[in-house]
Amino acid sequence: MDDDEAVTRALAGDLDAYEVLVARYSAVAHRTASLLGAADEAEDVVQEAFVKAFRHLKGFRRGSSFRPWLLRIVANETHDLTRSRGRRSDLAVRLGREREPYGPEDPQSAAVDADGRSRLLEAVRALPHGEREAVVCRYFLQLSEAETAEVLGVRLGTVKSRTFRALRRLREEVGRER
Amino acid sequence: MSDDDRPESLEARLRALGADLAAPAPPPADVARAVRARLEDEGAEDERARRPDRRRAGWRPSPRVAAASVAVLMAVLLGATPQGRAAVVSVLRFAGVEVHVGGAGPLPTGVPSPLPGERRVTLEEARRTARFPLAVPSALGDPADVRLADGGRVVTLLWPGVRLDEFDGTLSVVWRKELGEPFPEQVDAVRGWWIQQPHGVSYVPSGGGGPHEERVAGPTLIWQHRLVGMRLEGPDRAEAVRIASSAR
Repeated sequence: MDDDEAVTRALAGDLDAYEVLVARYSAVAHRTASLLGAADEAEDVVQEAFVKAFRHLKGFRRGSSFRPWLLRIVANETHDLTRSRGRRSDLAVRLGREREPYGPEDPQSAAVDADGRSRLLEAVRALPHGEREAVVCRYFLQLSEAETAEVLGVRLGTVKSRTFRALRRLREEVGRER
Repeated sequence: MSDDDRPESLEARLRALGADLAAPAPPPADVARAVRARLEDEGAEDERARRPDRRRAGWRPSPRVAAASVAVLMAVLLGATPQGRAAVVSVLRFAGVEVHVGGAGPLPTGVPSPLPGERRVTLEEARRTARFPLAVPSALGDPADVRLADGGRVVTLLWPGVRLDEFDGTLSVVWRKELGEPFPEQVDAVRGWWIQQPHGVSYVPSGGGGPHEERVAGPTLIWQHRLVGMRLEGPDRAEAVRIASSAR
């Protein structure tokens, strides 16, 4: 069953079909929520997003892609959460936390450092909010520019300019410390 | 310009970095089941929300006639598919009580707190002020204590070791219960449900604002007396049914 068929059937009230969609996009939805700042509450955010998506399924433009439409709802839920908790920079915390499991004697940690990845991560962490979100969508979630625009609810031109500025900043940061 | 300074190289490194970042997620099938359970839950709520409109239309001119036709349809059983059950919840909605079975955590530890606007009244005052016709079980005689709460939506009658809540349970959920298996047992004699195990119960205020603090309830019988929701807590099953049958 492809997305379009699943949406058609879900619109007719077929919950089996909707379960297929939920299972299909669960992983990317969790990843999106986590990396945009939902942290420990990603599971709640994702469940809520899927429930809302079902309620608003009529508003989904048929023939377009389901994934960015869904991820926009996930992103909005995440924003609502971080706003309500007053922790806008939680992405930074989240990204920072990802490194904790790697202890100093962990060989993987050494590899990561050798790669310059941890420094790059720090630099992403330090980006202004909008640019950081663009980087998360474009590179960490590997969405296209058009998908990123839809998910973040901004114009395509905004995605391009934010990505451009972010890359320039990252190059400067990472280059300078080299 | 070194290789690393080229944009495509930086972009590739960012993608590789992204791939290294773990974002823990539960198994997709579990998420799908949990979402489904919530949607089924809501679907039933919508249905309930529609029914009262129909009922209200017939209610004003002739409450008695409407009452007779309504009393039978208040039980909604959800999550009957094996999947729904596995996900977390079976939900029983009956007479203003919403019972969630199977998803309960540890029993609540909170001490019982008064209901919103709860005050002690006389039986006569309760009869006058309640939003529904109050029933008193003749098997117990006059209550030792009577409480009125939430603008007359709930009346609580108390005898030593027995608590009877009466409430306007036709339009909305008044009580929410969380219990582990087994599922409540149907009691044909009073067309109600019997919950044997200790469980969490919380009051859902009429003005919204989320459920009240949860407390532990003992064995409870839920039934509907005419249009009034009733929950009787304390006695064992046989005694509870005897008391319920004597409500007038």
